[in-house]
Amino acid sequence: MAVDAPVRTSVARVASCALWGLEAAPVTVEVDVANGLPHFNVVGLPDTAISEARERVRAAIRNSGFEFPLRRVVANLAPAERKKEGSGFDLAIALGVLRATDQLTVDVTPLCLGELALDGGVRGVRGVMPRVRGALARGVDEVLCAQENAAEAAAAGARAVGVRTLREAVAHLAGEAVRTPAAIPPPAPPPRTAVDLADISGHETPKRALEIAAAGGHSLLLAGPPGTGKTLLARALPGIMPPLDADEAVVASAIHSVAGLVDPARPLLEARPFRAPHHTASHLALVGGGSPPRPGEVSLAHAGALFLDELPEFARHVLDTLREPLEEGSITLSRAAAAATYPARVTLVAAMNPCPCGHAGDPAAPCTCLPDAIERYHARLSGPLMDRIDLRVHVPRLAYEDLRDEGRETSRAVRERVLAARERMRARLGGTRRRTNAELTVAEVRTHCRIDDAGDALAREAMRSRRLSARGVHRALRVARTIADLAASDRIRGEDLALALLLRGAA
Amino acid sequence: MIALAPSDPSYPSALRDLERPPDPLWIDGLIDVLARPAVAIVGTRRMTGYGERVARELAMACAAAGIVVVSGFAQGIDTAAHRGALDGGGQTVAVLGESITTFRTTVRGRRRPLVPRIVASGALISEFAAPLTPRYWTFAQRNATIAALARAVVVVEAGEGSGALITAEDTRRLGRTLFAVPGPLGSAASIGTNALIANGFARALLAPDQMLRVVGATDAACAPESAPTDPVLAALRDGPLGVDEIAQRCRMGGAELRSKIALLLVRGQLAPLADGRFRRT
Repeated sequence: MAVDAPVRTSVARVASCALWGLEAAPVTVEVDVANGLPHFNVVGLPDTAISEARERVRAAIRNSGFEFPLRRVVANLAPAERKKEGSGFDLAIALGVLRATDQLTVDVTPLCLGELALDGGVRGVRGVMPRVRGALARGVDEVLCAQENAAEAAAAGARAVGVRTLREAVAHLAGEAVRTPAAIPPPAPPPRTAVDLADISGHETPKRALEIAAAGGHSLLLAGPPGTGKTLLARALPGIMPPLDADEAVVASAIHSVAGLVDPARPLLEARPFRAPHHTASHLALVGGGSPPRPGEVSLAHAGALFLDELPEFARHVLDTLREPLEEGSITLSRAAAAATYPARVTLVAAMNPCPCGHAGDPAAPCTCLPDAIERYHARLSGPLMDRIDLRVHVPRLAYEDLRDEGRETSRAVRERVLAARERMRARLGGTRRRTNAELTVAEVRTHCRIDDAGDALAREAMRSRRLSARGVHRALRVARTIADLAASDRIRGEDLALALLLRGAA
Repeated sequence: MIALAPSDPSYPSALRDLERPPDPLWIDGLIDVLARPAVAIVGTRRMTGYGERVARELAMACAAAGIVVVSGFAQGIDTAAHRGALDGGGQTVAVLGESITTFRTTVRGRRRPLVPRIVASGALISEFAAPLTPRYWTFAQRNATIAALARAVVVVEAGEGSGALITAEDTRRLGRTLFAVPGPLGSAASIGTNALIANGFARALLAPDQMLRVVGATDAACAPESAPTDPVLAALRDGPLGVDEIAQRCRMGGAELRSKIALLLVRGQLAPLADGRFRRT
């Protein structure tokens, strides 16, 4: 044998991708087929789902009309030191085996993502969008994945080829039956606005507060007797929020992709998410968790609204876990095996009854609660979470004669004002990653929240009577800034600050 | 804390009218306050904003006239009466349906901060000693003590089956003057008081001086807290309201009303509730 003849190796390499939170890392699947007793092993810190890939890969190869080598087969997921999870490596391992045994005669260049069925079919996996984006950032722009994931991969910007079976994948790679890349799907249409503000009578102040929350990203608490329209008001919020911008859409869609919640045909979100977890939700459901950590409701609502109905009914320790994401705009979930960081910048909307029976202050029905019980009910909310709620508004029961039809604004008209206000905020915060007045830093509050004489007098009075801490003043000023933005005013007027103080309860 | 036997010279003589005077009577606070002329202001725990205001105004009128306010220190009307007396600079006696020690260790919420104020200017009294668990009958029994201590008893609000109706019954048996505050028709908290008036068991209390005259207070300068002139504060007389409700009551709205409320807030004349409503302070 000539010395310089190329050494025929039987190691095949296929690109794939692992995911920790939203962080994608390239994984090279190396498959070696060597002489020895028939054996098939997967190494490189696989989890149970990956170890079980052996059975799926073996059956899929056989049932696709190929031959599974009766030799010693080792698949390595490199880099080997990080834990990997999920069934998304099946396709890469199978193609690696076929390449190593020369049943596939060309090298596999695209990123391969997909789970195999025993009959050789290719199934979709979660988290395709962030993985494809990670691969794109590293220069891999072609993706081979399940047909149902193709639109999602295309939406992330890759040349995505969807296949239904392992055979189709091999035929495509070998050039026997080349498939055309999937078209970039249209973004998911905004959900037909379930509730329009024009459908809600009266409630001028709650509607105003809703508009302020939508524009400035301030958190809002709606309180009132049952049946007065708190939930209806909250559900009108998505209809007046501005559309997602491109960056937000990609991140929000990626989170939904990781959670397996995207519509396969329309994977890119356009409308802001609106999440409404039930009050029995655990803290893991709310902020995310598990091993590996999955995103929770607060991350799924990223760039949108998180609606907590019946706020005092949530377990207190569950609500307390919301403090960090509300403050930081993201949540880091640390587990022994891995840590994941998910963004969690939400507009919090909460609703509550004024007392356990719901009828305190309700002229239509007597309240049957003892005064101490009402106080305990309110005390459940006191503390750090309530401190982060900038707008608290009472939603009273309306008399029949208040239910008039004229002069109601539509959500569309309100949204116009919100959009204009957001534009002013964007101009102000240009160059930072922050978008809303709720995210203004203390220094920015000083620069941007200039008040007129009437407002100044009010602020001074508040400080003098010690009804307001410096922190309270800052929070009120952020809200007042939004109110002035909605009125297209550069200066904060006295009445803007008055409304902000009133909605905050001046505490 | 001291215990007085009925034989003791400083034992309040009014209690000797009872079939079985408390023996001993436990007292935490000033003893001599028990010898002074007193009016009892009692009512339901499930009070309305109207009841809270009336109880408070009556207690303040007593305080201004130098009359001691006796009540049972339950939630609701009783607490509003004690608080009104204290805020008016007067004296008040709380007659407990459990031992003073038990009460002091278990009381929570809005009543807790009142305890030291009552002890400083008036007294907590009880006929029960420490290991006893409070029961329905202990509260019923102390109602007779309340009625006996006072020269006149005012029931501010009482629903059907309210414990205040037991106090009313005791008052009649002891021959003290019984007043009831008329309430709105249809209000569950006024069914009992309206019935007392309708049946002729109680005199309708139409103004505070009626009750003050019974105890012989001559001070004419005992006008109740005058109605506030500020329309926002006036709208909040009968309990907390939300912004839109205030706007409706004041027939005012927009920026003007909001600025007004904000100013009252920062001045501390209004306080926010957790549910977005406002109450007078």
